[in-house]
Amino acid sequence: MRESSTVPEDVKQRLNWLLIFIIICLAILVISLWYLQMIKGGELKKRAVENCIRSLVEDAPRGKIYDRQGELLVTNRPTVLVSIIPAEVEDLKGLSDKLSRIINVPPESIEKKVKNYSENPFKPVKILDDCKTDKIIEIEERKDELKGVVLEVKPRRNYLYQDLAAHSLGYVGEINKEELQQLGNSKFQGGDIIGKSGLEKYYNDILGGEKGGREVEIDALGQEIATLLYREPIPGQDIVLTIDKNLQLYGESLLDGKKGSILVSNPYTGEILALVNRPSFNPNLFADGISYADWQRLSSDPDYPLTNRSVQGVYSPGSIFKVVIVIAALEEGVTDRKRKIYCSGTYKLADKVFTCWKESGHGSLNVIDAIANSCNIYFYTIGNELGIERLNKYIHKFGLGEKVGINFPSEAIGTIPSAEWKEREFKQIWFPGDTINLSIGQGYLLLTPLQIHSVICAITTEGRIYRLHLVKKIISPDGKIVKEIEPEIYKKVDISSSSFQTTKEGLRETILKGTGWRANVKELSIAGKTGTAQNPQGETHAWFIGFAPYENPEVCITVFLENGGEGGEVAAPIARAMLEKYFKIQE
Amino acid sequence: MRGKFNKLTENLDYTLLFSVVIICFYGLLVLYSSTRLAATEVDNPYFFVKKQFLWMVLGFLFLTIIIFIDYHKLEGYSQLIYISAIILLIMVIIFGRSTYGAKRWLPIGSFGSQPSEFAKVALIIFLANFLSMNKLKLDNFFYFLLPFTYTGLLILLVFLQPDLGTSLVYLAILIIMLFVVGVKIKYLIFTFIVTLSSIPVLWTFLKDYQKKRLILFFNPNLDPLGGGYNVIQSKIAIGSGGFLGNGLFGGLQSQLNFLPAQHTDFIFSVVGEELGFVGAILLLGLYTIILWRGIKIALEAKDLLGTLLATGAVTFLFFHIVVNIGMAMGMFPATGLPLSFLSYGGSFMISNLLVIGLLLNVEAHR
Repeated sequence: MRESSTVPEDVKQRLNWLLIFIIICLAILVISLWYLQMIKGGELKKRAVENCIRSLVEDAPRGKIYDRQGELLVTNRPTVLVSIIPAEVEDLKGLSDKLSRIINVPPESIEKKVKNYSENPFKPVKILDDCKTDKIIEIEERKDELKGVVLEVKPRRNYLYQDLAAHSLGYVGEINKEELQQLGNSKFQGGDIIGKSGLEKYYNDILGGEKGGREVEIDALGQEIATLLYREPIPGQDIVLTIDKNLQLYGESLLDGKKGSILVSNPYTGEILALVNRPSFNPNLFADGISYADWQRLSSDPDYPLTNRSVQGVYSPGSIFKVVIVIAALEEGVTDRKRKIYCSGTYKLADKVFTCWKESGHGSLNVIDAIANSCNIYFYTIGNELGIERLNKYIHKFGLGEKVGINFPSEAIGTIPSAEWKEREFKQIWFPGDTINLSIGQGYLLLTPLQIHSVICAITTEGRIYRLHLVKKIISPDGKIVKEIEPEIYKKVDISSSSFQTTKEGLRETILKGTGWRANVKELSIAGKTGTAQNPQGETHAWFIGFAPYENPEVCITVFLENGGEGGEVAAPIARAMLEKYFKIQE
Repeated sequence: MRGKFNKLTENLDYTLLFSVVIICFYGLLVLYSSTRLAATEVDNPYFFVKKQFLWMVLGFLFLTIIIFIDYHKLEGYSQLIYISAIILLIMVIIFGRSTYGAKRWLPIGSFGSQPSEFAKVALIIFLANFLSMNKLKLDNFFYFLLPFTYTGLLILLVFLQPDLGTSLVYLAILIIMLFVVGVKIKYLIFTFIVTLSSIPVLWTFLKDYQKKRLILFFNPNLDPLGGGYNVIQSKIAIGSGGFLGNGLFGGLQSQLNFLPAQHTDFIFSVVGEELGFVGAILLLGLYTIILWRGIKIALEAKDLLGTLLATGAVTFLFFHIVVNIGMAMGMFPATGLPLSFLSYGGSFMISNLLVIGLLLNVEAHR
């Protein structure tokens, strides 16, 4: 027997109302279901069977690259890819034959590509890159017969000046398996274009943008009926370089047919105005998907056109290294402005004889004349008196033996020989003769042109090394400044001003009446040092480092010619030409 | 003791219990059809079904335990239950694991749980207790506002996760229970108007990302990877099912994985496509039986507490069923509310069986 309920009547009434509400809602659901399944059912069934949703990725255009004056260097051009969506193909053989006749790709290769599609049958498989306009029109016209074929528009990297600053800009290409693993699958997918070298690689995240996509509904004939969803790709941000296009172009013309590099920068900001590397390559080859033959040619070329000599090449610096030696000697009191050393053309140490480049000898020289005439005997003497320990101390003060820290991938470090280094590398003790060799920048010492350049910058600014950089600012696609790269003192070289002054005086004398006379112009006071470095690869390397104007420096320059000959003969005139161009002096 | 057990088994609503059991197995079948291909990635087509079945067993275990605790004993614990729910929800915000940008999960051992699901049950118990004790005072407008404050705290906490669907469930439970307990209709209308007019004010307090989420909530088409796509696909799937459906495992849309959430929020479209109008009506019929039995239990309860517990339980089930199915047919925005007994998910399955336990309890302890 149930106990009587104590639930109030008004509550029961409200409950009945709730029941009615629930029944109405359920009835509406049933009616909608009837409408959707019984009335519209046939039509929707047709859509489900015949219609497909196509999902197409739309790549974001990569950020553009400008020179310091805002001149466009790298942009994108639209290209059309011919692709096939495996899931939509009914008769693969027939389709391959038809498509093959239009685009001249063998039908077997089309079939193979479609059959080996990746994980997702709805993802378009690329058949042909960069399809020509007439073929695009033909495919469009015969769309009905070519079900499953889609034309996709993709932005393609376009380097407007071909090989201009190719090593700095770098190149782009399709992401490979290792990169995909490294960069993470969430953001990147197979087929994506990423920066592979140079600034394209270093600034990939900034240039890359974010891809968008479309979901389109297509009918049985492969025609698009409606765009269901669209997400606009977010274009990458643009980069403004510190490079001056005209100076760069001129530098490249000066090195045409040669091997070597030129660096021009503002020593008080670290902005690189020109970074020339020769021989070079055309990054457009990579953007188009480099052919095997082209790749073979570039990678097996004995002149290494793909190598960025300024940043990645290490070379014997020769006499230009004397600037570091003389500063060490002045600082340590081994020499001063008054001390004179007699050069007879030879220098004896124990039973070994070292010679000056001038066989007859320079006679009696003070430090200024020794720099100007690049007298080896003077430097043997002070180098020997300093000894390897003290030499190393000053080499490291200039930041040599470390990276310069440029915003660029894979910078080389070079070799700074020391007693421990030799012991480790060769299991040999350090001989006094090794110090003699090091005193004139020969022997085991290897540096990159970029490192040499930071030395001349340090001398010019009297100790402040600004971080060398290639990018001035990053701007958004609508022209707003996202980030401006401020000059940053990367290292302070702790050396007295008087030692710098004396060295700079020597550099000015070098141009006025020393080995660098070929760099002299009357309109401009240039200071510099030449170098001719012996090396095991053959002909000597020709070097020039310098700055101008002497009184109030604006730019520093480094010229390097691999196996180019005498520094004074070949490197100095090139440096002069570059500086004339920069200071707009008529030839 | 023996007599008590006999009375319990005698008073048990077997119609309700068997409807739930049938619907659970119906759900497992549909779940198998929609996940067997996806689950082969984990090398076991029964992967999802097995897990769902284990949760179901666990849920029935809880259900059984609940039946044996006389609901009158819950009275003393209702505040404790409410406070525990609040603490758990705060823990989610602090320690929670996030999926799809929302923190909803609390990691417990190797698997997660969603406290916001259990908080639904906690809210029903707490409100039933509070309203049954204060029925007469509710004519006083300030007393009427108290339950809004209690529920508002829970809503705020899930809103922060952010989980708008669940906060709507809490709100629905509160409104319907207030309606049933007999508050003045003008009070309800008044709060409705106040809530509507306060939206622009609240809007200014929201952060930009919260606004963005809210806009997407009301217009999923703005999010290309979100609900808009699902709704279109879901409508095509249901419609193409026709009268008899394409047969289990025969759904083009569902088998080709056009529906990303087809084993959770969009499982009804698999029912519609593969089992057709007949299958969908069968399912709706079972739901109708459950809801009807629920209202019946509420009407026949021994006291107001029982009535309100049953009302809350019915509202919980009803809201999920109507909103989810309505969403699958494109009548509501994609709110992310799962379908009772069908959608894949442990916490949700268990909380559904818990409220069935509440209903059976109220019926058994007359």
